[in-house]
Amino acid sequence: MKLEIDESRCKGCNLCTMVCPYKIYRPGSRPNRRGIYVPDLDQPERCPNCRLQGLYGRRLCGVCALICPDQAIRWVPEKPFEPMKVVIEY
Amino acid sequence: MQGNIASAEGALAAGCTFFGGYPITPSTEVAEHMAARMPKIKGACFIQMEDEIASIAAIIGAAWTGARSMTATSGPGFSLMMENIGYAVMTETPCVIVNIQRGGPSTGQPTMAAQGDMMQVKFGSHGDYSIIALAPSSVQECFDLTAKAFNLADRFRTPVFLMADEVIGHMREKIEIPDSVEIVRPKTLAEGALPFAPGPDGVPGFAAFGTGRHIPVTGLTHDERGYPDTTNPARHESLVRRLFSKIEDARHDIADYAIVNDEAEYVFVCYGAPVRTVREVVERLRIPDTGYLQLRIVWPFPEDLLSRFPKVKAFIVPEMNLGMMAREIERHVSVPVIPVSKIGGDLHTPEELVEAVRVAGGLL
Amino acid sequence: MRDDWLREDRLPHIYCAGCGNGTIMNCVLEAVERTGWDQKKTIFVSGIGCSSRAPGYILTDSLHTTHGRAIAFATGVKMANPSLHVVVFTGDGDLAAIGGNHFIHACRRNIDITVVCMNNHIYGMTGGQGSPTTPIGKTSTTTPYGADEAPFDLAELAIAAGANYVARWTSFHVKQLTESVLTGLNTPGFSLIEVRCQCPTSYGRRNKYREPVDYMTYLKTHAVLKEKWERTAAPGAELPADSFLVGEFVRRQRPVMGVPDEA
Repeated sequence: MKLEIDESRCKGCNLCTMVCPYKIYRPGSRPNRRGIYVPDLDQPERCPNCRLQGLYGRRLCGVCALICPDQAIRWVPEKPFEPMKVVIEY
Repeated sequence: MQGNIASAEGALAAGCTFFGGYPITPSTEVAEHMAARMPKIKGACFIQMEDEIASIAAIIGAAWTGARSMTATSGPGFSLMMENIGYAVMTETPCVIVNIQRGGPSTGQPTMAAQGDMMQVKFGSHGDYSIIALAPSSVQECFDLTAKAFNLADRFRTPVFLMADEVIGHMREKIEIPDSVEIVRPKTLAEGALPFAPGPDGVPGFAAFGTGRHIPVTGLTHDERGYPDTTNPARHESLVRRLFSKIEDARHDIADYAIVNDEAEYVFVCYGAPVRTVREVVERLRIPDTGYLQLRIVWPFPEDLLSRFPKVKAFIVPEMNLGMMAREIERHVSVPVIPVSKIGGDLHTPEELVEAVRVAGGLL
Repeated sequence: MRDDWLREDRLPHIYCAGCGNGTIMNCVLEAVERTGWDQKKTIFVSGIGCSSRAPGYILTDSLHTTHGRAIAFATGVKMANPSLHVVVFTGDGDLAAIGGNHFIHACRRNIDITVVCMNNHIYGMTGGQGSPTTPIGKTSTTTPYGADEAPFDLAELAIAAGANYVARWTSFHVKQLTESVLTGLNTPGFSLIEVRCQCPTSYGRRNKYREPVDYMTYLKTHAVLKEKWERTAAPGAELPADSFLVGEFVRRQRPVMGVPDEA
């Protein structure tokens, strides 16, 4: 699973940044088109839900999604790793 | 049977299944009778709320679950209910409020009759709106008009008021209770229709809570989905005008009245308890050149009935207030309107009305 | 899924950035989801204020009523059709100021509804006036020199008036709040879950909690878990200043009203 912040809803309050026990987020550095400093996903690999929801079949942690006042955080299924063939032509 | 009890029985005959009330003289008997009768009826609920504001709030909430709901109060409680009456108007909630009027203002005369709330029923809450108010003049009419009030409430999706007074509420007369009363429920919300989209008569279809229509009810100015839309002047205008005209446009259609001697020169326009005195004067004493118009539905005011009297020289309006409906009648006619105001709790005597006719004759 | 319960066409909502109300709405929806209630038979009722805008964003039948009267409307809905599940969103002013009478009578009657009070110590919607829960000394537009009226303790009020389930959490303790709301929803009788939350725009701005994170930090550090306090405190000890107890205060089985009979 992959963490996704819905930029049309996020209002840049940074509560997710404060609350995350694994310190995944960090305050945003650049404003987006709406002028909001959407938090950056600094270390998304530390999110237990992303890694283990498939294995356990239920939501683990998920405090950021619960605390986000704008319902802007959700998990989306990540496309499985597809090895791609690269052809180099001279 | 007492007038208050007849009103309660009329409500039960019409299928009332929720009563939320608060005791206040002179309407307490309605609540007490409902408290005795409702627990024995399956699906009916009586609850004594903590004040009149909670009473009307509870009946509006109950109406949204599809129940026919009602409360009974008098002057001071009626004043308390005004904010939520406005809410019922704005959200188009059908409910029935019985007001057994007593001497006012303020605590006034709890055990004496008056008709002092007739303007408050129409203009009491803030903002522009219209409602339906009925006025019984006998215990039989208490029964019939209360039952009718529920049908009107469901048809127009509005709060409907029964404006009796302490004398009618507490008097005892023999009445006839019909085997069954006509019950007309509101038209249902069609599949896929928006919850506040009006039909051709200006009234939206109704879907109770729990039927899966997910209706967001709000007292804010709202669009047809029910979503608040407060900063749009056109939306507010169309909503409020529709709420106003859905009732006002039907005033001739729903008018409930009795006319005696339309050839009269001196016409009494009356409602509620004074009707009894007027009947005595016109029908029994047979004072010459008099007739009367009894209004059973006072608001929306059916002004076209006033033109049914081709020879009228003056309208005489006996009321137990300082001329509230007389003022409304005056707006619509060019002949003199003579109010006969009697406050303090005593009914008009026939001599007073005969004197009024004489004075009218002398003036003209 | 929690998102099934939201009216997607009305988002993003009107709440300010970092508003506690959004968080509480999330937790309540999560809890309602876990009760397994039918979405068609769940009714949300609210009064007036920022807290009370929440039902407008939830995809169920809802009643957005007049100020302070949400509980009275909810009583009517529940008594007329006890099979409906009624949840009330209200604020501190809506519940304790204008709605105080309806609040204590609902507790007394123990009517089977669940009330979630979003207590941000201020009247947020109207611009930041003091409320009956504004702590002493705090600034608001109607208490510019500091509030001098002693505030209510809403949880204590509910306990004294007879509610069956009373809990207080904060908008920081989201997991515990969700569990508590779930317990309240499943408890027959009146359940009050008071949630202390942040209002960065009105309360926070005037009282040195400008950023949403600031008041959350205060909530995190000054909330004392009730069980821990009872276990570790010396008898008769006072809570440190500015601290408050959180947790489930009471869970009892007083006689209830409005519970559907399992016939």
